[in-house]
Amino acid sequence: METPSLPLQLFTLRDGLVVSSAGQHLVDAYAADFQGLKHFGAKFGESLELGSPWTGTLQEADMTLNFAYFEAGTSPLDAGAGAMVGEQRPFFELLNRINELES
Amino acid sequence: MAATIIPSLRSSLERLKHAGSINGILLGWRRQLMINLLPFEDFRAERALHALLDASGHFSSGGDRAVQTFWFGFEGVFALALFHGETTLLILHTQAAEVDFLRTAASTFLDDTQLLVNAVLNPQDSGHEDTQPLSPEKVILTKLGAA
Repeated sequence: METPSLPLQLFTLRDGLVVSSAGQHLVDAYAADFQGLKHFGAKFGESLELGSPWTGTLQEADMTLNFAYFEAGTSPLDAGAGAMVGEQRPFFELLNRINELES
Repeated sequence: MAATIIPSLRSSLERLKHAGSINGILLGWRRQLMINLLPFEDFRAERALHALLDASGHFSSGGDRAVQTFWFGFEGVFALALFHGETTLLILHTQAAEVDFLRTAASTFLDDTQLLVNAVLNPQDSGHEDTQPLSPEKVILTKLGAA
């Protein structure tokens, strides 16, 4: 029997914390990937003098994960949101979905 | 190798560059630049390629994951990176809404690119082909319908 794919899980970034009702295991997994994605996004941005990314997405065969900051700041204390889902999703749709969390 | 395949790749890449709001493309093989159509010098493009490969390596270091695509948004520009085998394609574009269209187009391009790369890396050994000598005798043709 196939394991059902992870449904869409939403996370908020505030005051240096990743917050979600998805459960500690998923919060830990998201936080690790988010920090890696943000770190390497900044390294990439540095190489082309683009600065730090305000949004980032990574996609694997069976997973899509993203983050975005709501305002100009991209420090750990700035507010933002992210999502993780166990399937391939359109990037723009997922970005719009987490932007809705700002309101 | 690059000298052999670059003319056809460059042609395809130039066509892809005219899709959507693209303002730069880079094609890499392993850690080398194959084609740099970014608005940046080669040394910067190479650093960018290495940063992407390092990022991919970070996520796959456990052995059970393989990132296919990264997409980053910066002030005024987005960067879409796709990995296919040992080939990396980086696209800089300006309209966020076009990312999924660009991803599909780039994925198709990479499929084709991989065939070209494989063909160059694994050329057919022409020394072991089956052959059939042509007969020097006059070939007798029979007209269809002839008794």
